[in-house]
Amino acid sequence: MIVVPFRTAADGIARERALLEAGKPAVLLWQAQADALVAPEAWLRRDGVRALEPGLARSGWPLLARGSGGGPVPQGPCTLNLAVIAPLQTGTGIEHGYRLICGAVAEALTRFEIATDTGAVSGAFCNGAWNVTAGARKLAGTAQRWRTTPGGRIGLLHAAILMTPPPDTVWSALAKLHRAAGLTQAPRPEAHVALSQLMPETMRSASVVGALLRAVEDRLSRLLSGEQQAA
Amino acid sequence: MTTDIRIPEDLYDGDEESVITAWLASDGATVKEGALIAEIMTAKVQNEMTAPASGKLTILKQQDEVVAKGTVIGQIT
Repeated sequence: MIVVPFRTAADGIARERALLEAGKPAVLLWQAQADALVAPEAWLRRDGVRALEPGLARSGWPLLARGSGGGPVPQGPCTLNLAVIAPLQTGTGIEHGYRLICGAVAEALTRFEIATDTGAVSGAFCNGAWNVTAGARKLAGTAQRWRTTPGGRIGLLHAAILMTPPPDTVWSALAKLHRAAGLTQAPRPEAHVALSQLMPETMRSASVVGALLRAVEDRLSRLLSGEQQAA
Repeated sequence: MTTDIRIPEDLYDGDEESVITAWLASDGATVKEGALIAEIMTAKVQNEMTAPASGKLTILKQQDEVVAKGTVIGQIT
């Protein structure tokens, strides 16, 4: 499996949206070559946030929009994105999608003897109850986008995994964004951990990608076979 | 005939609330059944809301309002 390289995160997000619109089960692993901060569209409608955009771009962190919820996250070579398009039966709650994507990340990392958990982390960017954590620090963030089609509900399940610590300049950019959005607590670097800090470099990239792919495809296959049995 | 646009009851198990993050059609606009008309967010899940019928849209809850599941956020007549 090859991680699809996109020039910017906007290109990766556009590919995810195209897959969701196609409505067929799919897995996409991607990484952006250029740094950017990606925030929910609702953040970019705030006057204070919009006013920051030129300055953020000049500091190397242009602000891009995404269609899932949460807060701003750094994208670029530091982040590996895992996107899964999966059918979600009517009556299936949001926890189901989170269990699928978080479970896949956890299982993949177990192969490298990295124990993970899920939960909120005080001081983490884009904090939520379904962070994947290692040692109580945020390793990956997750979010979803759901679409209801005549054929049923389809979910875009997304995980952003920190492969390396983001460049130091991101923390001041994030702090400015949070202040502009009226939030009192800015993300703190010590609330996060990257895979590069948890495993030797020789094992990292290709082997993690392969393990992630196997874990997520197993889950997707089980989900699809369950749907066929139910039909 | 009036058709309610309602926050789905089956999105999540608990009593978390949702936020209307965007109306993608204007109040009074004519919408087609199945068209994307709004987005709501719950626990970092962005849920696309489609028109349950064709007709004239009346918006009852505004963008950025917090709503519970089951809430009627608009109607189509």
